[in-house]
Amino acid sequence: MFHQTPARSFTLAVVLAALVAYATFGGFFAREIVIEIAILAILAISLDFVAGFGGMVSLFHGAVMGLSAYGYSVLTAKFGIHPIPAAFAGIFLAASFGAAVAAIASRTSGIFFIMATLAFGQMLYTIIFKSRWLGGDDGMGGIPRFDASWIGLDFNDSLQFAIFAVFGIAVCYGIAALLLRSAFGRTMCGIHGNEPRMRALGVSTWKHKTAAFAISSAIAGVAGVFAAQHTQYISPELLFWTVSGEVLIVVILGGLGTLVGPVLGAAIFVLLKHEVGNYTDHWHIVVGLLLIVTVMAGGRGIYGQAEHWITGRSRKARESLNA
Amino acid sequence: MSDAAFWILQLLNALQYSMLLFLLSIGLTVIFGLLHFMNLAHGALYMMGAYIGISITSATGSFWAAFFLAPLAVTAIGAVLYFTLIRRLRNAGPMNQVLVTFGLIFVFLDIVRLGWGDIALGLDAPTALQGTTKFLSVSYPTYRFFIIGLGLVVMATLMTIVSRTQIGAMIRASVENDDMAAAMGINVGRLFFAVFCVGCALAGLAGVVAAPVFSATTGMGISILIPTLIVVVIGGLGSLQGAVVGSLIVGSIETIGAAVLPGVASILIYVLLAVILVVRPAGLIPARV
Repeated sequence: MFHQTPARSFTLAVVLAALVAYATFGGFFAREIVIEIAILAILAISLDFVAGFGGMVSLFHGAVMGLSAYGYSVLTAKFGIHPIPAAFAGIFLAASFGAAVAAIASRTSGIFFIMATLAFGQMLYTIIFKSRWLGGDDGMGGIPRFDASWIGLDFNDSLQFAIFAVFGIAVCYGIAALLLRSAFGRTMCGIHGNEPRMRALGVSTWKHKTAAFAISSAIAGVAGVFAAQHTQYISPELLFWTVSGEVLIVVILGGLGTLVGPVLGAAIFVLLKHEVGNYTDHWHIVVGLLLIVTVMAGGRGIYGQAEHWITGRSRKARESLNA
Repeated sequence: MSDAAFWILQLLNALQYSMLLFLLSIGLTVIFGLLHFMNLAHGALYMMGAYIGISITSATGSFWAAFFLAPLAVTAIGAVLYFTLIRRLRNAGPMNQVLVTFGLIFVFLDIVRLGWGDIALGLDAPTALQGTTKFLSVSYPTYRFFIIGLGLVVMATLMTIVSRTQIGAMIRASVENDDMAAAMGINVGRLFFAVFCVGCALAGLAGVVAAPVFSATTGMGISILIPTLIVVVIGGLGSLQGAVVGSLIVGSIETIGAAVLPGVASILIYVLLAVILVVRPAGLIPARV
């Protein structure tokens, strides 16, 4: 079950404020990092929504993000459609794909579900990789950013775009948190806890799973629109299954099922990647070992572990008061 | 090239690729069937087999030394993994298994980059197997015939062991119901470890025999993993016959499809997997009836 505790609100506020401050006072490179963090954080929120609360681990969120990025890019760069409807179209495309896969894959569970998402994600990757019209492995360029001159903003300015991206995290977090607190979110957590019982209560579980994936994929689609606008160039690499694996790593490192943990995880992951990159070329071994240690230590992640200690201590304090 | 020769060539290519997939998927599927463990790092073990094989060949000057020693070395790596991580993850649920073995993919990727560098390395086929052999009026590399033969020998051996020996009966019993097998006096833990080692050895063997054909790259472990997983799911997780059928299907679709329908072939295996997951989620030949 999801609770937006004061500690979670506080952590989210601190992380978002730190990102805004880093973008404002850092140079161009800092802003690029903040945008990178924001894209990863939104994607991590979308994955935590289904994996952390619905118990449905997916290995296709990278592909969903890429699909939305391609949808946005094709509509704007190839057909000259206005960026805002194009962004909605990209997000809608991502949501439909996510819902379709979930509708098919929700017949399976556990490792088969993971394999099914992996297969559909790779299918999408292969289709785009092979398509000459979409640029194949060369990717696509010339993608415009939103034109926000009507409210006096210029998103081609890296600082303004970075702050817009951080705003994007806040909006996506808010939507995910509201949905998790709604009856829909509670039902999803119930299905995770005990699916046969929810079915016995009269809940059509596959419809809920499909809807949950549609929502999650729409949020991943938001990340895709940001990703396409960030570098204004996209390539099929966005959709490769290891991207989805990396997002899963971010969610686990931050704290699965805490919603704010993945945001924190994304910030730490990207910063660590750039810091480690200054010393060694071998970033993968660092993140691989970190992941293994996190999972073997109980899999709570950074925020989850902190929360576990704090609630554990306060419970102990309460018990000693009662005794 | 005549029409018949074209088809024979495609068929041989498909068979050769299927045999490599079989060597990999048999380990993955049996490990899953027995240990309920999904090892995404199986492709990484294949890659280690290729690189270790190349080093052994250059140290001893003999491909055959690598052919026998590289699988042993990979088995040793597997044994270390078994005692440090895999044994503890057996009952940890699929997500933790996927995560830890995904982490292992990254670790092995960098170990190879540190030890052997980023450049693709080749390996010469042994002198006895160089050149081509005529088969039904088609000249085909002798070494690839060797891979096909090796795959068939391994296939026949495993089939015999599983269906005809006492060890095989113990394995089948444990796949069916491991608690009951343990109650009947089978040392399930030791059996699992032995099967795990055989799976790792076959992955290493696949790596070393693949090196002369494909050359070793840091991406080889990741790129072979997806077709291997598809074989395992199509065939039925934990099923030996399923791995045979699955690798023949995937190998044929990938090679013959690439020659006949170049645009669609790479998508076909994913479509097939999707259809199987919907229609027969337990695979074509399920391990448990």
